[in-house]
Amino acid sequence: MREITYAEAINEAQRFVMRENPEVILFGENVSSGWRAATKGLKEEFGRERVRDAPITETAFIGAGVGAAVVGLRPIVELMLVDFGLVAMDQILNQMAKTTYMTGGNVNVPMVLRAIYGAGGGNSATHSESLYGLYAHMPGMKVAVPATPYDAKGLLLTAIRDPNPVVFFEHRLLYSVRGPVPEEHYTVPFGVANLVREGQDVTVVAVGKMVQEVVKAADELKGKVSVEVLDPRTLVPLDEEAILRSLQKTGRLVVVDEDYERCGFSAEVVAVAAEKGFHSLKAPVARVANPNVPIPFNRGLERHVLPDAEKIVRAIRSIVK
Amino acid sequence: MKLTKAQRLDLYRVMVRIRTFENGVRQLIAEGKIGHVSFSGGGEAVAAAVSAHLGPEDQIGSTHRPLGHLVAKGCSLKHMLAEIAGKATGTNRGKGGAYHIFCPEVGALGANGIVGGSVPMCAGYALANQLRANGKVAVSYFGEGASNQGGVQETLNMAACWKLPLVFVCENSSPVVQTMLGHEIDYPQLSIDDVSLRAPAYGMPGSSHSGWDVDEVYTVVGEAVKRARDGEGPTLLEFKVHRVEGEESEHCPIRCYREKLMKERVLTGKLDTEIRDQEAAAVKEAMDFAVGSPEPELVDAYRGIFAEGF
Repeated sequence: MREITYAEAINEAQRFVMRENPEVILFGENVSSGWRAATKGLKEEFGRERVRDAPITETAFIGAGVGAAVVGLRPIVELMLVDFGLVAMDQILNQMAKTTYMTGGNVNVPMVLRAIYGAGGGNSATHSESLYGLYAHMPGMKVAVPATPYDAKGLLLTAIRDPNPVVFFEHRLLYSVRGPVPEEHYTVPFGVANLVREGQDVTVVAVGKMVQEVVKAADELKGKVSVEVLDPRTLVPLDEEAILRSLQKTGRLVVVDEDYERCGFSAEVVAVAAEKGFHSLKAPVARVANPNVPIPFNRGLERHVLPDAEKIVRAIRSIVK
Repeated sequence: MKLTKAQRLDLYRVMVRIRTFENGVRQLIAEGKIGHVSFSGGGEAVAAAVSAHLGPEDQIGSTHRPLGHLVAKGCSLKHMLAEIAGKATGTNRGKGGAYHIFCPEVGALGANGIVGGSVPMCAGYALANQLRANGKVAVSYFGEGASNQGGVQETLNMAACWKLPLVFVCENSSPVVQTMLGHEIDYPQLSIDDVSLRAPAYGMPGSSHSGWDVDEVYTVVGEAVKRARDGEGPTLLEFKVHRVEGEESEHCPIRCYREKLMKERVLTGKLDTEIRDQEAAAVKEAMDFAVGSPEPELVDAYRGIFAEGF
């Protein structure tokens, strides 16, 4: 199969739906510029009306996305970095997330908020966060975190057609990663986990860039520990069944998360295991996540707090004796 | 923009309808049938005159004092009052309350519980109008307190940059002494007398007017709406309003217009009584509907978090 990058896959999905549906529009900071791989060339094909640069005012342009969606357009709004969304929490968490429910379904908000996220580049605490746990916390939004170019295209095509707000997380360090992506149209459904690798001894759950690290850890342990790698792909909805099914087989759970550990995705997966899979568990669960520290600028310090294959191996070894 | 006699009587009728409706809400609160609501009394002229320029496909975004705007835009009195009472028959199925009433069928999109919260969304309505080239406009209501919110300032800027068909309508309800939530404040929240002074800083026309003279409001809104429809971009209009309940105040827009129309022999005492009786009957019908409507089923709490369940 043809191989393209994660960013090209995102670009291709947008191009496809924009050709198909004139009501799909795209805006955000600098989306018209050639240096933005995920949107490169879209302005040239679809014009500056539909692919529109917004002022650096997240509240205004995310709110405009909500409004445009309420009246039936299909806006894709890009957040240059997920951290910048923190200045627009009202529009995201109140207006985008709750409007469907609060109006009793009078209106809905078919909007995709594409958020670039992720640490590992030495970009410090306001340019490196994951924060998908924060978004998943608020009822009313779906949350997708693709790990591969294939999933990036397939999940984005699903997201744009979803009648609900979707926050779509794109890891900045995955942008240049290549992988097989069909040229034709396909979708990856929400709420269906990807069984990345089958194994017998332990289930390791991760999303986004952390899936790579888990696979590296599984490779290192080859012949010693049989690791099952499960990527839920969407946090909302969460494929609880796949997690529980895997646990029934392995009896052990490690959750790996680039986001903060406290009250986040890793805690949620562990809670699912404790509430619904308790009798499958043969050992305490383990988590490898950001230990609740802002991402430090210094590369050594950053590496120290981020989950990686080595820490994952250690966590697996701690519960698989 | 010369108003006909019939148009002026319509404006008067809408203002009376708003006040009568809010009084109906007050009565239900006094009877313990519904909880707290923020009222818009004193703003009737603004609501009536703005909506007189709009059709059902033009949109408005409103505030936490939304009832006047919503009544004027043509929302069903019955279903609004049922919503305020939290009933299953409400505009939002009892899920939103007065702060979140949406009536998309008449372009009322919608009330908002966050001060300034609806303003960025109005840019989205206007953006859709612009892209669809449908000649429709959006009107964004907010108060002088909201005018300081970052989202409002950001939207003024973005609307000007994008030349959106959007009219910003600021109802300044502290026309003499600055207040917050109706209470005196120790520090001013505006360092200028007129919110409209900010308009030139964002590159759009702006002006301030008394909000109790419905004829004046009608004229200036008409110019701003025309400018927006013609693709010339947004305007910021500020109207000073006095929050009133009864009709004793000289700033009560209903009293002002009644006296003016009577002096000009457009309105007679008999016709006034007729209008008030008709509106009172419609509000009474809405109150009976709201009170008599069923509560939502408990299972409704779990419905509609997403447009389609999963």
